[in-house]
Amino acid sequence: MSKADPSKKSAVQTTGHAWDGDIQEYNNPVPRWWIWTFYATVLFSVVYWIIFPAWPVGKSYTKGLFNTITFQNSQGEEVTTHWNTRSRLIKNMQSGKEALKQKAYLDQIAATPIEAIIADPEKMAFVRSMSKVLFADNCAACHGSGASGVMGLYPNLVDDAWLWGGTIDDISATIRHGQKGYMPAFAETFTDHQLDAVAEYVVSLSGDTEGDAAKVAVGEQIFKGQAGGCHYCHTQEGTGLKSQGAANLTDQIWTVANVPDAHTHEAKLNAVKRVITKGIQREMPAWEGRLSDTEIKLLTAYIYQLGGGQ
Amino acid sequence: MAGSTPVVSQQYNYAVIRKFAIMALLWGLFGMSVGVYIASELAWPWLNFDIPYITFGRFRPVHTTSVIFGFGGNALFATSYYVVQRTCQARLPSDFLASFTFYGWNAGLLLGVISYMSGITQGREYAEFEWPIDIAITVVWVAYFWLYLGTLRRRSQPHIYVANWFFMAFILATALLHIFNNLAVPTGLFSMKSYSLFSGVQDAMTQWWYGHNAVGFFLTAAFLGMMYYFVPKQAGRPVYSYRLSIIHFWALIFLYMWVGTHHLHWTAIPDWTSTLAATFSILLLMPSWGGMINGIMTLSGAWDKLRSDPIMLFLITSLSFYGMSTFEGPLMALKSVNALSHYTDWTIGHVHSGALGWVAMVSFGSFYHMIPRLYDTKLYSQKLVYAHFFLAVIGILLYIIAMWVSGIGQGIMLRAFDDFGNLQYTFVESVAFMHWPLVFRALGGALFVTGVVIMAVNIFMTIAQAKREAAAIEAKIAAKMAGAAA
Repeated sequence: MSKADPSKKSAVQTTGHAWDGDIQEYNNPVPRWWIWTFYATVLFSVVYWIIFPAWPVGKSYTKGLFNTITFQNSQGEEVTTHWNTRSRLIKNMQSGKEALKQKAYLDQIAATPIEAIIADPEKMAFVRSMSKVLFADNCAACHGSGASGVMGLYPNLVDDAWLWGGTIDDISATIRHGQKGYMPAFAETFTDHQLDAVAEYVVSLSGDTEGDAAKVAVGEQIFKGQAGGCHYCHTQEGTGLKSQGAANLTDQIWTVANVPDAHTHEAKLNAVKRVITKGIQREMPAWEGRLSDTEIKLLTAYIYQLGGGQ
Repeated sequence: MAGSTPVVSQQYNYAVIRKFAIMALLWGLFGMSVGVYIASELAWPWLNFDIPYITFGRFRPVHTTSVIFGFGGNALFATSYYVVQRTCQARLPSDFLASFTFYGWNAGLLLGVISYMSGITQGREYAEFEWPIDIAITVVWVAYFWLYLGTLRRRSQPHIYVANWFFMAFILATALLHIFNNLAVPTGLFSMKSYSLFSGVQDAMTQWWYGHNAVGFFLTAAFLGMMYYFVPKQAGRPVYSYRLSIIHFWALIFLYMWVGTHHLHWTAIPDWTSTLAATFSILLLMPSWGGMINGIMTLSGAWDKLRSDPIMLFLITSLSFYGMSTFEGPLMALKSVNALSHYTDWTIGHVHSGALGWVAMVSFGSFYHMIPRLYDTKLYSQKLVYAHFFLAVIGILLYIIAMWVSGIGQGIMLRAFDDFGNLQYTFVESVAFMHWPLVFRALGGALFVTGVVIMAVNIFMTIAQAKREAAAIEAKIAAKMAGAAA
């Protein structure tokens, strides 16, 4: 076998075969750099196998040498184990650089009453920073990334109106336990005439004077009397009842009936009628168990200061 | 040694190759257009039009199936039948079975595409066909294997050319992968719903053992087979190194089978499987590059051909993209890189630098070489080949750069912390960031498809020209015969 000089291509022989007339193969040696780079990848792999869990042996596997992870288990005891993904994550969450930074703030938040947190600009800076992501990942799917809700479906959290109450305790309870919003459908209860009258009255409650006074008066009767029974939840004054999540109908804030987008009196009535006939059934899930107590506390403070918390 | 044969088209079964080649182009046009559409849906979601059949979720397997198995599969059938017949100097043993593979394969794909749009899917990536189609495909594949082996056995050459090793490995491995990945229990004899035989981690690992080896054997080994015939043939030069071809062939097919689990890093899989997948991916780098070196070095001493031969441009560029994506792949298979890249568009970009840059480009080059020979004519236009080439390259570059920006950008955003140690960005902010890269990706894809349209026109005109030439010759012969008779 003659040694091929790479500088003299002409010295290289072909293997002597020819296919399809003219396809031949040179008998060039495998390039040196190819071989050495391949050996380097072998060396890399062997070192990797020594350090990390790698090869199955019976029902177990090689655990890796010189590469342990120490972390605290749920009982608070220090545990040392061979390298593995789960322990690495736990350790990172316990003592990673960013985790420690966050933990220092979270400890303060946990130890401070929520009113004091809201009063402290530095703590609120942290609340806003962390809640932004908490809100986007857990709440924004319904309430929208700007928390302004979706008319008819999900309440707006940035205005002053609170269906279920806007105090710190109310907001916290709502996040923790969720809510079930319910208004019965009146399609079967009211005649068309009654429906018109109630709608006229409801629209008039928030200061609209375009309605027919006679109809408004009939509507008021139904609203406040047995025929409609609206006052059970919305109260005689129409200001709503937070224990029922019933809306205040006297302010100009609408969360279900799309009155703000209605430009004629007729359209406003229709928007209100749609809600009265179909009723409302909606649910906000409970976040207790999904979010930690501290996270709920953060979100409470965040949402409290978003709109006019009470 | 090579016996001179005046009527090549009778010695070999070219009819079935022509059909496969044309179907490859049609599937390519369809599948790539669907790709551009779903890429546009990501940039402008209203393009869903709330029509369930064309939403991203259903159209995506239509795209992948059409381009991998429709375009790629038909291209492989065409070129492998062409290569095995010519390098063995033997005809496929059965014309009937050859036709059967053509109709069976394409009917199966068509059924698959229709079923995905109707929402019938196994939900296994790149293997979405439900069980009846899986069984039909298996039958077609057995016929393919038998035809290929039969041709090899009839060869008039003592040695089997290297391209055929790769094609053979591809056929065998694909059979193995297809059968084991699709082991599933139908819910009823007439039900189109089935459940995988495996569950949990085993199921995920089977799926990705299949998924990655579909890349390894279908999209790499088989197309290397294509490369090993068409590059030396087009260059008119011997393959650079026989020894390298042996070593990298065995290394490639041995190592590929281990690496699928790198698609599952940082999930519930055992850590040791993750380590093996990462290290075997690194070991795979040089065996992959063996094919690139052998292809590119074949041109050494004849580099000037790149100036005058656009087909050579396609082939050499495809090898460059092959080299780039087989370098990027092992890198992304490392756990620390994967932590950044996984679940981002970087993966999509990586796949397309291989799929467009390597698989499609080497197929285009091979087709420009093969189709005129199938029809015994010359290419209609060299200029159109150049136009196709530049559109394709610009399209690919736009595509993969957009995906690097989108993927690496999103990866970095999702792990960014602010001064409080809190996550800096929400998930939806990273989605908003991706809008412009997604627009450019769709644009890159559109340029690539435009190139394929130009190719289709060129091929159509080439075939029309061949028919005119054949008719002219026949008329001449008829006139001569008439003259002789008089």
